[in-house]
Amino acid sequence: MKKKKMVISQETMDVDFVRKVEALADTSVRRCFQCGKCSAGCPMATFMEHPPNRVVRLLQLGQWRRVLEGRSIWYCASCETCSTRCPNKVQLASIMDALRKLSWDAEGPSKESYVQLANKLFLQNIRTYGRQYEMRLAAVFNVKSGQFLKDLMLGPKLLAKGKLKMFHSKNKNLSEIEKIFTRIEEMRKKGEAL
Amino acid sequence: MKTLLNYSYYPGCSLHASASEYDLSTRELFNALGIGLTEIPDWFCCGATPAHNVDELLSLSLCAKNLELADKVEGDMAVACASCFSRLKTTQHVLTENEVKRKQVETAINAPVKLDSSVKHLLEILAKDLGLERLATAANKPLAGLKVACYYGCLLTRPTDVPNLDCTEAPTIMERVIEAVGAETVAWTHRLECCGANFTLSRPGVVIQLTNAILESAKAAGADCIMVGCPLCHGNLDIRQKEIEGVYNADYNMPVFYLTQLVGLSVGLGAEKLGLDAMIVNPMPLLKEKGLL
Repeated sequence: MKKKKMVISQETMDVDFVRKVEALADTSVRRCFQCGKCSAGCPMATFMEHPPNRVVRLLQLGQWRRVLEGRSIWYCASCETCSTRCPNKVQLASIMDALRKLSWDAEGPSKESYVQLANKLFLQNIRTYGRQYEMRLAAVFNVKSGQFLKDLMLGPKLLAKGKLKMFHSKNKNLSEIEKIFTRIEEMRKKGEAL
Repeated sequence: MKTLLNYSYYPGCSLHASASEYDLSTRELFNALGIGLTEIPDWFCCGATPAHNVDELLSLSLCAKNLELADKVEGDMAVACASCFSRLKTTQHVLTENEVKRKQVETAINAPVKLDSSVKHLLEILAKDLGLERLATAANKPLAGLKVACYYGCLLTRPTDVPNLDCTEAPTIMERVIEAVGAETVAWTHRLECCGANFTLSRPGVVIQLTNAILESAKAAGADCIMVGCPLCHGNLDIRQKEIEGVYNADYNMPVFYLTQLVGLSVGLGAEKLGLDAMIVNPMPLLKEKGLL
């Protein structure tokens, strides 16, 4: 991959964004002193173009666009190893959540579409059914991602073992879940929540 | 005599589908141990990883709603899935620390948040509430000679100060539980490593790589089987095992049990009550060889 040269100047440093991340994640980005312990323990670092400690460093330098453009944040598994081991109590897993949210809201430029599609379908299922129906989730994911044959061989096996249910017990208070979604949307419209 | 234990049970979405044997064996085991379990009526999905990944407020609100529903059922909350457990505990932790977020969540669910209600993973109930001594007494068919690799995965213990189930880096609660009912445990390297969890849907290649390392480590340590307390870990280790063997040209043939299945065996429950036939890697040859069935 050809590396773009990074220019650090007042024009390219956006520290307001970092403050927003800190508010959402309720932790400090600035407290990191780059020991690298997060990246050493990260099971997903091999799949990322920016390992976790570099994500934090880029944020410190106000270079958040580089982070959001890449796939690193979408390849975080939320295993919490980084947050557990950080000597400075930087809650990096929460920072990753905040970055994903900001990228998600802005319908950001990330290249990682499969993970985002999976998230989107998962949340739609909650809103519609109150619970997650795995078979539906997997089937719709395959159709929408154009991978019609993905895990096709697993299907009959799982059905035979009773692991995929065609029918599910329904929540009787589905309107409650819709209210939660609506109230959150209203709060955001009024600027009462990020 | 201690009063009879009773819990409000939050199974979570997986236990109603891909992990139905975890649900079945939990109910049967608790019944056999004389522990009451009442399923919370009309519980919702906790939001799991996808919700907190992109919308923390939604994730917190869904969990707060479930805490409210659980409060209407008598007893502490019993949670089977490591991910649901983690989300519920995280919600209580975050909302205790952050008043702004707590107010937002209270607006979203239009009710106060139950910050102090007790949320427990099944392991905690067996090890602490029931107690290892009583568990050992109940084990009338000890799992003698069975070598178990206890797999914690990520969310049972991490991060610091949130689940508070056991030590984050060197937990022993699974080993203590399964040793109490007569099994042996092995020391191995990957018991706290991530299996790739929900990437099984979006990026299965990730799961295959990470889960292979876990299976390889358990095999190298001489384990007969793996024990888990999470339906996602189980799905990756069990359902994808054949595929992994193909990709890495390996032969693991490693049955993956839920903790309730193994403990259930030790208290004399039969294969049909533990859903052993739902496991993809067939555990019967192993259990027969060890004289446990």
